Amino acid sequence: MIEVSQLTKKYGDHVAIDSLNFTVKKGEVVGFLGPNGAGKSTTMKIITGFMAPSSGAAQIAGYDVFENPIEVKRRIGYLPETPPVYLDMNVEEYLSYVAELKGVEKERRLQLVNRAVEKTNLGQVRRRLIHNLSKGFKQRVGIAQALVSDPEVLILDEPTVGLDPKQVAEIRDLIKELRGQHTIILSTHILPEVQATCERIIIIHRGKIVAQDSLANLSALQSGGRKVHLKVRKSAAELGAKLKGIRGIQKVVSGATPQDWELDTESDDEIVETVAREIIAGGYGLLEIGSVKADLEDIFLKLTYGDSSPNGSGQRMEVHA
Amino acid sequence: MRPIIAIFRKEFKGFLFNPNFLLVCALMATLLSFLYPISLRSFQDQARNAMMFAHNSGGQQLNIHYGVFLKHLSYLNLMLILVVPALTMRLFAEEKKMKTFDLLLTSPITSAQIVIGKYLAALAAIFVIMLLAFLYPLSTAYFAKINWGPLVVAFLGIFLVAAVYAAMSLFCSSLTESAIVAFAMAVLFNISIWFVGVGVEVVDSSTARSVFEHISLNQHLTAMVEGTVRSSTLIFFGSAIFLFGFLSERVIESSRWR
Repeated sequence: MIEVSQLTKKYGDHVAIDSLNFTVKKGEVVGFLGPNGAGKSTTMKIITGFMAPSSGAAQIAGYDVFENPIEVKRRIGYLPETPPVYLDMNVEEYLSYVAELKGVEKERRLQLVNRAVEKTNLGQVRRRLIHNLSKGFKQRVGIAQALVSDPEVLILDEPTVGLDPKQVAEIRDLIKELRGQHTIILSTHILPEVQATCERIIIIHRGKIVAQDSLANLSALQSGGRKVHLKVRKSAAELGAKLKGIRGIQKVVSGATPQDWELDTESDDEIVETVAREIIAGGYGLLEIGSVKADLEDIFLKLTYGDSSPNGSGQRMEVHA
Repeated sequence: MRPIIAIFRKEFKGFLFNPNFLLVCALMATLLSFLYPISLRSFQDQARNAMMFAHNSGGQQLNIHYGVFLKHLSYLNLMLILVVPALTMRLFAEEKKMKTFDLLLTSPITSAQIVIGKYLAALAAIFVIMLLAFLYPLSTAYFAKINWGPLVVAFLGIFLVAAVYAAMSLFCSSLTESAIVAFAMAVLFNISIWFVGVGVEVVDSSTARSVFEHISLNQHLTAMVEGTVRSSTLIFFGSAIFLFGFLSERVIESSRWR
């Protein structure tokens, strides 16, 4: 559905995105992940035909974004970073105007507006001026606007920004619901969001794709990673040194209080056991111990900020689905 | 065609239901209602005098077209120089500022359609103002006999000038994100076209002279307000509008690749 090859955008000497290659299949939900300024929005703007790249090409449903922008735009619903709403219109008027701009026939317009209003829960404000709506509602109007023409491809730039936790959950549910009917690309720097909604993740850093794979595969890649969290009754500084001495422990960090400790260890289950035994034997008073497998956050931090743990220092993962 | 209508309808509604537009219309009406009776009264005085001394005035005729309507139109023109930029300044500048421009540029419409839709909406708003101004001569027709032909042509002339203002103001609006800057630029543009004709006096070559004569707004408008429509005048106004419309379209299109 979406094919991007060797896409590059330069602003003067600054390279915003550098030879991106990826494809998105029909009905797939793909998350664009990256720190601020990584090039997520730039990539999305190019795919929507809003901006031209310096080199490379992007195709949507077989149409080239630059050769055939009108055909491409007919098939796209786009939510930019700032929802593009007219403050002096009411929600219903606005959505109907957008549908008209997108070339929806008059007969279908009302039906599609109703559908978008329903999906984004805007029923109670449909006759209110957008000017008077809260930020969260404006954001939802923005999402409704992207949906209203029933496009094949949805491109959502940070769709949950400015929403309260309940609304965030609703939008995630909405995205899950749309999966299959629409091809969706969404960008975010909020990790749980991709975990909750996306089938595939593309991690961008400094304009380059540093990883792209399914969530399960990315987690599996982080072999050997485990984090252990401990809480003890006694605050004793020498515990740190003692823990470091245990074989298989890579890093010891003291936590929020002197009683909390965070350990990076190898994935071996025995290590947890050893740590527990050590603490009890030393009489530190073990209150809590928990172990977590490396999660998306670790993968993300490692890939983008170059976490310098011994087994992953400086090395980049190159994965292609 | 459909996107043009969609944009036109949205923008024209935006004008009509905007309290600021109504306020501007009301203020213009107030000012014209103050000035129009004054010129009417002074024309009446002149006419009475002329009748009294008809035997020694050498057959020179007073004409309500020159005495009242042209004055009325020149007041209107003066106001339009400021009002047209005020109306059109937001058309692109605000879209850019509010980021709604993204919506237009990612919709399946061309830059030309955007410009035409917005320009036609501006013309329609100006037409409303012209209708308002036309009420004054219309009411005069109640107690005076009026030669409608020249009057309508003169109004058409001012409407065409306002259409040129609108094209220039739209272009200014496309250049910037700030409506105020767009307004200031547009007013300067509108004023400056009145002075292009001054070039006639400073050049020597006869070719340059005739070029300046042709691009002088005054030259063309004078013919129209007197009631004659020349094809060269229509071509002049048409090409000025096309030029600035085209420039706006280029500016809009450039934001796609900049």
